[in-house]
Amino acid sequence: MIVVEDPRTLIRRWLSAESCIVVGKSIERSDSLEKALGRARFVEDYLEEGYLFARLALAKAPHARIKKIDYSKALEDPKVLRVFTYRDIPGENQVGYAVPDQPLLAEGKVRYYGEAVAVVVGKDPDSVNSAVENVFLEIEPLPALFDPLEAMERGDILIHESLGSNIAFRTKVRKGDVEEGFSKADVVVENTYRTHHQEHVYLEPEAALAIPDLENRMTVIATIQYPHLGQKIVSKVLGLPSSYIKIIAPYIGGGFGGKDDEGPLVAARAALAAYHLRRPVLLYYTREDSIQTHPKREATVIKYKSGASKDGKLTAIEVTIIHDSGAYANRGPFILWRATMHASGPYYVPNAKVDGYCVYTNKVPQGSFRGFGNPSVQFAAESQMDQLAEKLGLDPVEFRLNNMLRVGSDTITGQVLTSSVGIHEALKKLSAVSNWRVKRLEYSERRTGRTRRGIGVAVAWHGNSTSRAVPDWSNSYIHISRDGSVNVYTGIVEMGQGSPSSSHRQLVSEILGCPIDKVKVVFGTTDAPDTGATHASRGTSVGAIGIVVAAGRIRSRLESFLSEYYNVQREEIKISDGVVIVGNKIKMSWEELVALAYSKGVDLSATGYFFLPKGTFDDDAGRGFAYPAFSFIAIIVEVEVDIYTGRVKVLEVHPALAIGRVINPDAVKTQVEGAIIQGIGYTLMEKLVFADDGRIVNDNLTDYVIPTSHETPVIRNAIFVEDVWDYGPFGAKGVGEMAFIPMPAAIANAVSHALGVRITELPLTPEKVYSITKQLVG
Amino acid sequence: MRVNFTLNGNRVEVDVEPNEILLDTLRLRLGVKSVKRGCERGECGACTVLVNGKPAVSCLLLTVQVDGSEITTVEGLYSDHLFGELVEEFSKNFAVQCGYCTPAMLLTAYAFLNEALRKLLKPSKEDIVKAIEGNLCRCGTYPRVVRAITEVLERKLGKYG
Repeated sequence: MIVVEDPRTLIRRWLSAESCIVVGKSIERSDSLEKALGRARFVEDYLEEGYLFARLALAKAPHARIKKIDYSKALEDPKVLRVFTYRDIPGENQVGYAVPDQPLLAEGKVRYYGEAVAVVVGKDPDSVNSAVENVFLEIEPLPALFDPLEAMERGDILIHESLGSNIAFRTKVRKGDVEEGFSKADVVVENTYRTHHQEHVYLEPEAALAIPDLENRMTVIATIQYPHLGQKIVSKVLGLPSSYIKIIAPYIGGGFGGKDDEGPLVAARAALAAYHLRRPVLLYYTREDSIQTHPKREATVIKYKSGASKDGKLTAIEVTIIHDSGAYANRGPFILWRATMHASGPYYVPNAKVDGYCVYTNKVPQGSFRGFGNPSVQFAAESQMDQLAEKLGLDPVEFRLNNMLRVGSDTITGQVLTSSVGIHEALKKLSAVSNWRVKRLEYSERRTGRTRRGIGVAVAWHGNSTSRAVPDWSNSYIHISRDGSVNVYTGIVEMGQGSPSSSHRQLVSEILGCPIDKVKVVFGTTDAPDTGATHASRGTSVGAIGIVVAAGRIRSRLESFLSEYYNVQREEIKISDGVVIVGNKIKMSWEELVALAYSKGVDLSATGYFFLPKGTFDDDAGRGFAYPAFSFIAIIVEVEVDIYTGRVKVLEVHPALAIGRVINPDAVKTQVEGAIIQGIGYTLMEKLVFADDGRIVNDNLTDYVIPTSHETPVIRNAIFVEDVWDYGPFGAKGVGEMAFIPMPAAIANAVSHALGVRITELPLTPEKVYSITKQLVG
Repeated sequence: MRVNFTLNGNRVEVDVEPNEILLDTLRLRLGVKSVKRGCERGECGACTVLVNGKPAVSCLLLTVQVDGSEITTVEGLYSDHLFGELVEEFSKNFAVQCGYCTPAMLLTAYAFLNEALRKLLKPSKEDIVKAIEGNLCRCGTYPRVVRAITEVLERKLGKYG
């Protein structure tokens, strides 16, 4: 009996699958009905009678030494039971992800306005809401730093004294010789770009419900993107073994990266309260708490110099990326790595020098947000590309195609791309479909009147998996019940992207050949294997590799069993869409096959683990392996600018993606559309405003405005180039973040085209655009 | 304070605080889970309910204000035919992502559809976009929601050009 269990062989088998029953089809999501009917449960929906309520008390100073935390007044209300501070932490208070610089609850110092200081617990929300106002910090104020450029230079004011510098982390990439590269350039463009903080505004604010059992083992239901990381952090904070902690990520009302950073912390803070009180505690963030305290999209200063020769080839880039990391590094170093490695855009550049600095300031920390450092650097890179093209007298699309990465090219880190590089084809198709050349000319010739139209292009690339050689894996467990129903266990969560409710079910059904309605996916729990986080566009791309392996193993066992039992060749066995055909005589249903297999002792439970093969990256040399594969996107955007008001309206967006195999086209399109709309918000409307003391002024949804149905442009059907990735499930690559990444650049390039003026600082608010267009009004 | 109202067709009598918002009464006292807390200042629309058939944000209503009113949430529409059609179109058109805003979005869409069908007036695309402007969706399902509403309207009132 030949049972194929080797992951690589299994992955390869399904990579080349051609005629599929459910893969590649827009199968309806299995969760839409329960969500529509209000039956889907989010964290707060698990609340029961008698549970306690908790809120955070936040710091009201940007930088200060804590002399005393006085909460005696908060406790005067008999309904307020306890106030917990760092002193109550039985395990460790240190929760920094990349650098050990961050306390769960402020200890010794506060480093930003809005930092969590205490957890206030009471019997009802009203008393808790009053009590948080009665937690007072006695402090010794310290001088605060808000500008990263200043913070880099200052040695006299240190946000983390023990580190001796305000630079939390540095990165670099080196390739060739930039001086020589610039000497060969006929045109050089040099600019400084600035991008701003963005707030996630997931509709569901953070919350965690911690339920202790009799032995004080803890179940925490939390808004969290990586249950197993939550388990690790909670166990560290409580000083208990991981096995005592169970984390459940139920349905999550949007994450976009924010609940990857804050999720484990909200879980640990709720668990701390429940641990001491031995009662279930619901910790909830109000919208204002959420905006004040959780990490944001990075604000950046990017200095970018690039050169190209007369024949339209890039010769060199020199880039300095400065990330305003805020008070803590959080995931800043990882974000900076990603920005650094992607600094060129998806182009072949022979000479490159990129330096990154992650700098502390006394502001809310930077953190994970769809695109993870890439949208800001692609904004700079793609703004440069347009300006180089203009100086060379080339069409921006032609110039990009001239320099595009292809199979066999090496990136700025020196990694040779051996397959799955479909961006050239994607941009070519997009340019034709969107009528680019005609519109570009037409709008250029029509730069008169109150409203000006422009069309802009931007491309982007995004490495799949974690940066450099950081280990990454996929994992799952599948077992088949006696009635033929299929139970899939994954650590991937459901926060809107739909992988557990669409692609995972499709993959399992396709591989096993069972009807799709037999497949149930248990997701978002530490009772499932550690599948890694649901971030970095990896829910399906990396997250489901383990599912392919586990399902592939069971399929292989079933085929071997049938082959032996009926004495036929494996090629004569077909299991598809719930029908099993063996040779030309035997036909049975999926359920009958499972019953038979059970009765003959076939093991119908399997794990699927896959460790992603990666190369190495040399930090000192700034060269080496960056990512196992890249997803690509090209976007063409049409805008209208009202020169009297400075208002920019995005009229139409044309996307084209090279993301490997598309498992569920409509599900992918919803990710693309959502990212486009979020990108429009970021580029045109959204910006956090800081007061002189570092407080976020617009910490509510009246003052922080996100796109509504009105700001939604016409989004054309996405073009897909299915450049399969060797290890992806059926060749799929990541998609969730993709359409966000080129949006700032595409809009800025379109606005420049409309006005004939370049803007290098985001967001393109009416005020900013009007400061330019008022000269056109005359 | 004692307040009487109809919730999804059933008469309820609750004892509430004078400053209690309807959102809290529904979620914390009456166990209605479909009404979601999002911003508590009337901006996001996630806590939308129907008050006498019209959408209203339950975070800006004091419970005492709805004394004598009819309150409807999605739980009360499970057997409503039009609502069923709308849910079907939401699912088919992938208008549901994380789902947090979905019950509220559906209530707004349902009230809008009811009104349009009652008046037999065919709303324009702009009308549909305007109808849902008060329901924020950070996943960006707007184009899909508009499509779902359009499909129901087309079935009832004929094709859009």
